[in-house]
Amino acid sequence: MTISRLPTAALSLKQFLQRQRILGIYRNMLKTIRQVPSEGDRKYLRDWARDEFKRNKSATNPDAIRMMVSQANNHLEELQKSLALARS
Amino acid sequence: MASRVLLQCVRSLGRPSLRLSSANLAVRAAAAPAAAHRPLSFAADSRRPRWLGRSPIPSVGVLCRQYGDLPPLTLETIKDRVMYVLKLYDKINPEKLQTSSHFMKDLGLDSLDQVEIIMAMEDEFGFEIPDAEAEKLMSPAEIVQYIADKKDVYE
Repeated sequence: MTISRLPTAALSLKQFLQRQRILGIYRNMLKTIRQVPSEGDRKYLRDWARDEFKRNKSATNPDAIRMMVSQANNHLEELQKSLALARS
Repeated sequence: MASRVLLQCVRSLGRPSLRLSSANLAVRAAAAPAAAHRPLSFAADSRRPRWLGRSPIPSVGVLCRQYGDLPPLTLETIKDRVMYVLKLYDKINPEKLQTSSHFMKDLGLDSLDQVEIIMAMEDEFGFEIPDAEAEKLMSPAEIVQYIADKKDVYE
């Protein structure tokens, strides 16, 4: 159960879906970070997101993975809410 | 080349004003093969329309209508821009990069890097690439082909 460079044929359907979901979260995060007003903050957030995802790339425990996915979702929501507040 | 532009503009004065904008496009297209010997960089493309707009003889300028738009995309310019963006990416070794190099197999990137690369392409070309199609783009050649399909570039 890794987001690894293994050919996707080696993953089961569930793992494949999870991988796609995680990549989707990464994408949404990068899109949200694009909207941050200052360039310095943007760079910091991009590096932070990159490091977080890469660090946990090789996690194998399914519970840990699920926890990290929900954590990522929470971070993403938080970021979106702060941006909405900042804009209003 | 300036004299050719002038001649085209003067000739187009005789035609009805409806056809003036298409005459300008024809001028631009005529100028393109003439400039083929110059390196077709994106900078050169962006310089050309501005320079055409400044072509002299005020009376001609008033009657030749100029519409604002980006320079037309060609396969060559798309490829140059894609390769330029990829060379700027820090995880890619510019020497090993070719249009046919696979991101994961040849360049040793992973799926997170591929997501970042596709996002950079979205920024460069200014349009969204949906997730389903983004994950399939695994080499510069495929990206160029996809963008050409989406932008209806003459193939």
